[in-house]
Amino acid sequence: MQTIDITLTINEQTHTLAVKPNDTLLEVVRDYLDLTGSKEGCGQGVCGSCTVLLDGHPVRACLTLALEADGSAVTTVEGLADGDILSPLQQSFIDHGAVQCGFCTPGMLISATALLKEQPHPDRKAVRKALSGNICRCTGYAKIVDAVEHAARPASGCPDCHTKDTGEDHD
Amino acid sequence: MRLPQFTYQSPDTLEGVLAVLDEYRDQAGVLAGGTDLLVRMKHRLTLPKVLVSLKHLDTLSYIKETSGMLCIGAKTPIIDVIRSERVGQQAPALVQACERIGAVSIQHFRGTMGGNILQDNRCIHYNQSQFHRSGRQPCHKDGGKICYARDEADRCNSTCQSDGATALTALDAQLTLNSTRGERRVALDAFYTTDGIHPFDMQPDELLTQIDIPVVPGAVSAYERLSFRSAIDYPIVCAGVRLVPDPDDSGCIGSARIVVGAMGRSPLFLAQVSRSLAGVTFDDTAALEKAGKDAMNAAAAFAAHNAGAELAYRQAMVEKMVARALTQAAARPSARKAR
Repeated sequence: MQTIDITLTINEQTHTLAVKPNDTLLEVVRDYLDLTGSKEGCGQGVCGSCTVLLDGHPVRACLTLALEADGSAVTTVEGLADGDILSPLQQSFIDHGAVQCGFCTPGMLISATALLKEQPHPDRKAVRKALSGNICRCTGYAKIVDAVEHAARPASGCPDCHTKDTGEDHD
Repeated sequence: MRLPQFTYQSPDTLEGVLAVLDEYRDQAGVLAGGTDLLVRMKHRLTLPKVLVSLKHLDTLSYIKETSGMLCIGAKTPIIDVIRSERVGQQAPALVQACERIGAVSIQHFRGTMGGNILQDNRCIHYNQSQFHRSGRQPCHKDGGKICYARDEADRCNSTCQSDGATALTALDAQLTLNSTRGERRVALDAFYTTDGIHPFDMQPDELLTQIDIPVVPGAVSAYERLSFRSAIDYPIVCAGVRLVPDPDDSGCIGSARIVVGAMGRSPLFLAQVSRSLAGVTFDDTAALEKAGKDAMNAAAAFAAHNAGAELAYRQAMVEKMVARALTQAAARPSARKAR
């Protein structure tokens, strides 16, 4: 079968890969590069767990051909943290308990990162709209919306924004 | 879910794309954003031998105004239409429709305006995985002789669930189609064939290149839709309307276009109900609500069990969607000025 060479800059690392025409960006990221943070849920653009940033915009990796992404910059969930230092958004997800099973979390983080880049202080409505393409079956969304809304601006009435890790053993 | 095998071509020019379409005809698939096509390919509902990518045709991505027409390139991403001030002023119904397409991270950056118009007709019994469909006889659209949406129907009863198509039909849009044979223009309401299997009057070698919306002075428009979830889902009922004020400055509606979507095999332009609004004042709420009821009566017969919602509910909601869209359009500042 025909293979075509493409160049992708993934999380600021440039890769040259020989891909098949019917490889999706998600398959390339997961199967060729072992970046398994992006998940395949429905595989048909409904659930949002495969969301990645393509040239800064959120797109479904399962509905983007790898060939169409040739020459683009891709950010996956692995690219959000700086080494061991989590992004403020990722930390906020932990502080607010916005993760349960965690399957939707990579997509949620990517969609929310795209929102915060355009609107650093979004209101609740904007957060809900930006995350409307991501499905979560565990949390009921409230904690996720809290985490995104409070990521850049901790809210005074929110107990989760003021959780300080004291380093003490809690058990 | 893996995609089936195909060969891929991405010509640099429009002529190059048209040449590939001419060569492969119905074995070719046109890939713009891919948010509709790739899902259908994954479900093995369509199996093009060659995918022609429009990736390099950035010349088909624009929004401009020339000689009384608002022109939108077929490859313009949905997000550009949503963010366009010009479209917001001249055709607010289209912005409202585009905002409701899919969700931000599905369609808005990859999906295109042309792709939304050419979104294939859908049916809850047809748009399923190959495995799901393998459990029973194929339906008309799948090459068989059964319709699961309407008992004993001799033809396909899939429905056009495109948000953009409904709004653009209300806005009286025209399409430009190109092929190696030349260029042709067609009015959007004549573009739909009312055949569920082949919903568009389009040859396999043709490419949709431009959408024109006439700019009518003083015209107001609005779009309303109902779906299970506010995002991701397709509409189960929608309505697009455009009201043009009477040129004599009488404060009345001169002409109206009422279009109901997601009910029939194509967006339904309700000519008779639309005509009944001529001469009605913009603030005549009773007349606008009556038009909603008339629209329901006119559109109800077209509905089939193809969208997952109770048929009676969808039919009843036509009235609400049309009345809401009309009330919203009539309340726009430029309509108020006409009063």
